[in-house]
Amino acid sequence: MSYVKGLKCRECGREYPANILFVCEYCFGSIEVAYDYDKIKKVLTRQEIEKRPKNMWRYKELLPLSKEPSDGLTTGFTPLVRSHNLAKVLGVKELYIKDDSVNHPTLSFKDRVVAVALSKAKEFGFRTVACASTGNLANSVAANAAIAGLRAFIFIPADLEQGKIIASSIYNPVLVKVEGNYDEVNRLCSEIAAKYKWAFVNINIRPYYAEGSKTYGFEIAEQLGWRAPKHIIVPAAGGSLVTKIKKSLQEFYQLGLIPEFKTKLYVAQGEGCAPIVTAIKEDNEIIKPVKPKTIAKSLAIGNPADGFYAYDVVKKSGGWAEAASDDEIINAIKLLAETEGIFTETAGGVTVAATIKFIKEKRIPKDESIVICITGNGLKTQEVVADKLAKPLKIKPSLGSFEEEQKKRPTADHYSI
Amino acid sequence: MAKKIVKLTFTGETIKQPLTFQMAKKFDVMPNIRRARVTDKIGEIVLELDGKEENLQKGIKFLEKAGVVVEPVIGDIIE
Repeated sequence: MSYVKGLKCRECGREYPANILFVCEYCFGSIEVAYDYDKIKKVLTRQEIEKRPKNMWRYKELLPLSKEPSDGLTTGFTPLVRSHNLAKVLGVKELYIKDDSVNHPTLSFKDRVVAVALSKAKEFGFRTVACASTGNLANSVAANAAIAGLRAFIFIPADLEQGKIIASSIYNPVLVKVEGNYDEVNRLCSEIAAKYKWAFVNINIRPYYAEGSKTYGFEIAEQLGWRAPKHIIVPAAGGSLVTKIKKSLQEFYQLGLIPEFKTKLYVAQGEGCAPIVTAIKEDNEIIKPVKPKTIAKSLAIGNPADGFYAYDVVKKSGGWAEAASDDEIINAIKLLAETEGIFTETAGGVTVAATIKFIKEKRIPKDESIVICITGNGLKTQEVVADKLAKPLKIKPSLGSFEEEQKKRPTADHYSI
Repeated sequence: MAKKIVKLTFTGETIKQPLTFQMAKKFDVMPNIRRARVTDKIGEIVLELDGKEENLQKGIKFLEKAGVVVEPVIGDIIE
């Protein structure tokens, strides 16, 4: 049973049936899914949700499917870690880490959006799915398409590192290396999406795809004991995630599943690609596109599709935005690993680094609940920290050699900010 | 005839110049503006361009050369 009322333009408010549509036919504004909340309120309760399997579909009434979900059945419900060590270092009282670095099957939050996109694509009758990606999205589409038995086309820039290619090609999709710069790959994919009858997950299926991100926010609220935290720090690439976390908490509040929603939302980007951060800091609602130059490749979107909406959500919530330099990102990745045992990719480093700034600037008080969003796994981007870590001790196979060498290495409490 | 939906971002000096009009006249391209946001520092126009494919390409190149950022309306899709 579907609880979807239809699609709605985020700019002019025009409504459409829930078909394949990704920009408003009138104003070319972006499209979002609208639900019948009165109907949902009658069936969706905390008790009902708690009875269900621990995956992202436990909130299925708030996701845009007409049939039962068929993909991502092991995706979601990732740990919300209560941080003690990092909290101590940052000097804050109540800190949590929402850890999608262990999301299933491909270790990033993209598995959530792709699960919705593929289930919806099948409802529409597509047999081929596609995406353009340099990392997590490619991995997720390739793996989930393999599980679903769908044909997958993955478009990648020709100069993408071998390690990243393997993490997608292992699932045997059709990988297409495009010999062109970022803009050319972008434009080509728009043209392919317009011509071929494929489900291009973040183009023609985008309104449905993006809804999958809400499950990240639903889980935060449920895992906190059915309440919204005071502060959430979110990494931003296209800007969609922060808007969907806001939508998720708004929906829970509207349905009476959480008693209060006064969360301040914060955005984090890499310094070399921070168009949303710049817009927020300069209080300019028009996002100026940039050419990305940051080690946070998974956030390197210079022309963010949801940039304005991310700006709007952050400003209205009373939150803020910060950018992290490459060095700050690397230090933050190491800090999170050394304090909480979580090895995140660069996007997570960006979020932790920005959180440190928000606390130092006193934008986030030390005695309120804070959630840091970790959306990807560091095992995929080991090259960024490879030469920044302590080298192994090299010893002879003797106790004397070991005891001599081990004196040179300090242990524990060596992290500080 | 071909159509293209694009987002134009104007900054600095480009805001003051009638570049969209010049492009339309010079390359026989018909712009159909659907949405716009303008401040004193930056402007953004979402429009549909209608014309011969070759002229659309030339028109877009003309805008880019003049300093306008021309992007697909759906934003960057390589995630």
